[in-house]
Amino acid sequence: MVAREQFAWVWLLTMVVTYAAYFAAVVVMGETPFWTQIIMFAATAIVQVVVIAIASAVIALRYKNELSGDERDRAIAHRASAVAYQVLLCGIILVGCLMPFSHTGWDIFHAAVFAIALAEIIRHALIVAAYRRGLRQPNAQRGWHG
Amino acid sequence: MWLRIGVVCGSPMHSGAGMAERALTNTIRTLRFMAGEMTQAELGERIGVTRQTIAAIEAGKYSPTLEAAFRIAEVFGKPLEEVFHWGVVNET
Repeated sequence: MVAREQFAWVWLLTMVVTYAAYFAAVVVMGETPFWTQIIMFAATAIVQVVVIAIASAVIALRYKNELSGDERDRAIAHRASAVAYQVLLCGIILVGCLMPFSHTGWDIFHAAVFAIALAEIIRHALIVAAYRRGLRQPNAQRGWHG
Repeated sequence: MWLRIGVVCGSPMHSGAGMAERALTNTIRTLRFMAGEMTQAELGERIGVTRQTIAAIEAGKYSPTLEAAFRIAEVFGKPLEEVFHWGVVNET
């Protein structure tokens, strides 16, 4: 498994576990005071950052020579980002343009966090899939995004 | 250079209704053997990509850029069309 695939696995698993726990807590606890919400989110973000930082440092030390990447790494990252961008865009339209008419406060915040987390999870899942299954291009007329 | 020269081996391109399905294949494995069993790492080093990328190209899991394809052909001293083939998989 190449270094960049390992990075993607770390990101993917960390995002899934931390944000699944966060949103489960949000649903279970329901209405909570302002600072409780802030502490929950901060704890999630800190756990995510610490786990990713430690894992990234370990991977970087083990694979010093592989970190620069080549055209395939860039193509995989580019395609994954292009798809994740669409997801993020839909989420932000929902959160920024529609939800203000029907929801307020923490609902909007949680929806924004969910959209960002979902886009990141999709991005890293696509990177992992591309490394494991290959970078497919089913239609040559698709355009420069591929 | 981000121009792609086709699609990968195991995933033939659907060129449209009534058209033949075509796929990009290559003879890199054979050419490496004929070049004194050149390793994937050595070939990758000579064209500026990783061993994993050479393995993916050989397995048809990645279509190289046009520039990389020309570099590979140059390493073996062959024209591009002797290394990569844009062949018909089957007629629809």
